[in-house]
Amino acid sequence: MPRFDEGRPEMTLEEFRLLRDHVYAHCGILIHEDMKFVMERRLWPRLEALGLADFGAYHRYLRYDAQRIAELEAAVESLTTHETYFFREPAQLKAFCEELLPLLEKKNARTRRLRLWSAGCSSGEEAYTVAMLLKDSGRFDDWDVEVHGTDLSRRVLAVARRAEYGPSALRATPPDLLERFFVPVGVNRVRVRDDVKAWVSFGHHNLADEAASQLVPRTDVVFCRNVMIYFDQAARRRVLGVIRDRLCPGGYLLLGHAENLLSLGADFELVHLKGDLVYRRPELPNGEGR
Amino acid sequence: MSDAAQSLAGQEEVRYRALQAVDPRAPGALETFTAGLHDESWRVRHAAAEGLRRLPDAERVTARLISVLGERGETGARNAAAEALAGMGTVALHPLVLLLEHEDPDQRKLAADILGQLGRAEVEDVLLRALSDVDLNVRVSAAEALGRTGGEAAVRALEALLDAETSLLRLAALEGLVALRRAPATERVMALVDAPLLQRSALRLLGLCPPGASTERICQALASPVRSVREAALVALGTQASGLGPYARSELDAVARAVLSRIPEMTDRVAQALDVEDVQVRAGALVAAGALGEASLALAVAEVAREDRLLREVLFTLGQLGPEGRRLLLKNMGALSLPARTVAAEALVLLVDATSVPELCALLEWAEDDLRAVVVRALGRTRSPQALAPLVALLADPSLSGTAVRALEQLIAVHPLAALAALEAAVEQRTTPAAVAVLGRLGGAQVLPLLRRLARDADAPWRAAAVEAASRVSGDAGLELARGALADESAPVRIAAVRALGRQGGQEAGSFLGLALKDEDRAVRLAAVEAVGAGGATERALDLEALVRHADGALAVLAVRALAKLGKVGSGMLWDALGHPDTEVVKAALAALTAAEGAADGAALAVSLVGHPRWDVRAAAARVLGDLGRPECLPVLEQALSVEHDALARRALVDAVARLSGR
Ligand SMILES: C[S@@+](CC[C@H](N)C(=O)[O-])C[C@H]1O[C@@H](n2cnc3c(N)ncnc32)[C@H](O)[C@@H]1O
Repeated sequence: MPRFDEGRPEMTLEEFRLLRDHVYAHCGILIHEDMKFVMERRLWPRLEALGLADFGAYHRYLRYDAQRIAELEAAVESLTTHETYFFREPAQLKAFCEELLPLLEKKNARTRRLRLWSAGCSSGEEAYTVAMLLKDSGRFDDWDVEVHGTDLSRRVLAVARRAEYGPSALRATPPDLLERFFVPVGVNRVRVRDDVKAWVSFGHHNLADEAASQLVPRTDVVFCRNVMIYFDQAARRRVLGVIRDRLCPGGYLLLGHAENLLSLGADFELVHLKGDLVYRRPELPNGEGR
Repeated sequence: MSDAAQSLAGQEEVRYRALQAVDPRAPGALETFTAGLHDESWRVRHAAAEGLRRLPDAERVTARLISVLGERGETGARNAAAEALAGMGTVALHPLVLLLEHEDPDQRKLAADILGQLGRAEVEDVLLRALSDVDLNVRVSAAEALGRTGGEAAVRALEALLDAETSLLRLAALEGLVALRRAPATERVMALVDAPLLQRSALRLLGLCPPGASTERICQALASPVRSVREAALVALGTQASGLGPYARSELDAVARAVLSRIPEMTDRVAQALDVEDVQVRAGALVAAGALGEASLALAVAEVAREDRLLREVLFTLGQLGPEGRRLLLKNMGALSLPARTVAAEALVLLVDATSVPELCALLEWAEDDLRAVVVRALGRTRSPQALAPLVALLADPSLSGTAVRALEQLIAVHPLAALAALEAAVEQRTTPAAVAVLGRLGGAQVLPLLRRLARDADAPWRAAAVEAASRVSGDAGLELARGALADESAPVRIAAVRALGRQGGQEAGSFLGLALKDEDRAVRLAAVEAVGAGGATERALDLEALVRHADGALAVLAVRALAKLGKVGSGMLWDALGHPDTEVVKAALAALTAAEGAADGAALAVSLVGHPRWDVRAAAARVLGDLGRPECLPVLEQALSVEHDALARRALVDAVARLSGR
């Protein structure tokens, strides 16, 4: 069998570390040493596209070329995994619907306004899922609702906006919801219904960029699931600062099931729901900061 | 949540926060935290354990924690105390060793457990002694602990325990050896696989034995009706395969195939295992899938790529599934997740043949950009003339044209005439200037008139392409067009001219490049610096030396590299470069140093950098010193090594020291 890497430049450990540090400084994503192989494979196409001979040249390109910012984005793009699907982590979503939504309905009854943020939304499945659950609950029908999805990768945002998905994105979608919230478009593909889309917006946002977070609206709930797994402790701390800042006091943060805030969570309080553990930004004593 | 529950949670929150607010230096802190160890909520207990570790008098804390271990009936508190002790580090060692002498076997057991968690080699002797404790539970805990501290004596003791009478001890020994990744002789492990209680651990340990009979036994276990046994076998299979690396696997695969193909419903089971949570199980399932060579598994195998860590194995396994698997992937690309689709395409590149062109073209229609790049490469590998037209069309796509050019080069080698015709047509129809470049490479002198005409085109990209292409066809024509292009109003055309001149070389080109080095456009200057190096224009060395001091790191790096290419590395310029604020310039200078022996006191320059704040510079300096082979630098290197913390820099230093000391 032919080798799948014939004739391509190898990445030295030193080049790996230089590139890794560069990526880390840009977006807080930490690439572990045993991922050198993955990095090499994901960046080969970039070398090819740019006509560069080796990874040393690529590092210099990222440092000096006039196109370096765009190229860094392209590199990070190919290094991150955008794995996601509709109705991922159903137990958490159940707790969200059955326990958090009633609380939010009560809390915001006066303003009848609800803001949710899917931070690191990838190709949009999570943001649409949240919107579908809100619709499905019937609690917010004539409210002013917005689910805001953001991601570092511009490419996945384009997919999110198109809102068309295939079987792999739908692998955990219950059939009745599939029926209710999607319309078929061609073989094996569906599109999110317009009334759901109307509640969802998307934007580009690097969670490691504290200044840019001002562009994200203040929200009642943040879903930041399976994003911080890529960050180290320091980057996580910074990102949590950003998230806390964008949460309304008393607002909730939902992480992926493999993530927690142990030793980081001083700014959040842990809330034991019946079905899940979630984090909450503490209420301010006299409503300041709203 | 009910109101009552909510208020309970609220009280818990209050206690949790209160503990976090305790000042570790305040009097009574020890007692407050100790009380917290007895709280009903695990979160509060955890906070108390953390708090205890922050207290100043570690010895007193340790003593207190040990006393909590003695509170029978307070399971939560004891566990929290054990957790805290395991986090105390060396101060806890001695008291725990003493506790191993306690009359209550339960205390001795806890002591062994915690010592295991501390994982310190210095208590190995004590734990070895505990293996002869009168109480079985203590012996088991000691064996488990040895699996975490383990030096050679631990390994020997654990191996001896494989013959112990009680299976609990044998189990602990197996687990310990697995943890230490030390396999005894294959036959000894094989003898344990049949005992139901030991089977899973024994299988995992078999994974660490050399492949062969062990592989056969592991694969037989895949027939087990018990899922956890099958999973242990898969983990073992994955471990064996990873020890070999993908390209040394044929024997293992043959053994696995022989056994697995006889097991009914094996394919379904492997498909299931490819989807489980545990990464190690999935890794083993990939090996099994590859050995089976069962094409129907292709989609499930590709989906494993959602786990980055298994990328290499996924690619390899897809390769093992043959043309049938490939067809399945191609047909179902749209159903795969994004990561799966990307590896599937990668695997296809290796397997495509002339019949794949239509499917690949269909993919081009809808796939994402990075995937399309893979498809383009695959088209090049089909060796089919049908791939020419789509590839030529892709030259017009800026994000893919580079890849398309390389793919076309592969086809041109097999179908030169058809390729020429397709490219000429593309240029006639003004598809894209990228076609001109390929045409220039392919067409020879016969395309020169066309290139001359294009060099006067109204559109700058066409002019640029023509100038570069001409320089590949003919020296004289190239020089002539380049000279004219150097006066072009468009920077990209001037860059093309500069590159052409670099390719050309010679005195005339050198003097033109002198002008380009002063161009108003930075990109032109950058290209010119590179071209001077490429074209061997030694008369421009002084210009380059001036650029080494330039604040723009990119210019300075390229200037250093170009000077090295010209063989003009003098000590003045090196000192300039080594003092540049941009560390990439410094590294470029270090790389140039070895070429500069004689011209400069290279060693002294490199020595000045072994203490640089950045690891990459220190590593580069060490490498240069190793290359220069001057034994008098040895003391400096040894000194640097004694204080070096960075792994890569250390490696470079160790290497250099070894070379200089003739080791
Ligand atoms: C594995 S996906 C998770 C998608 C979704 N939240 C879910 O759980 O299904 C992770 C996403 O985080 C994004 N991401 C990684 N680092 C980021 C950063 N610094 N800022 C914003 N997004 C980031 C990636 O681009 C990727 O799309």
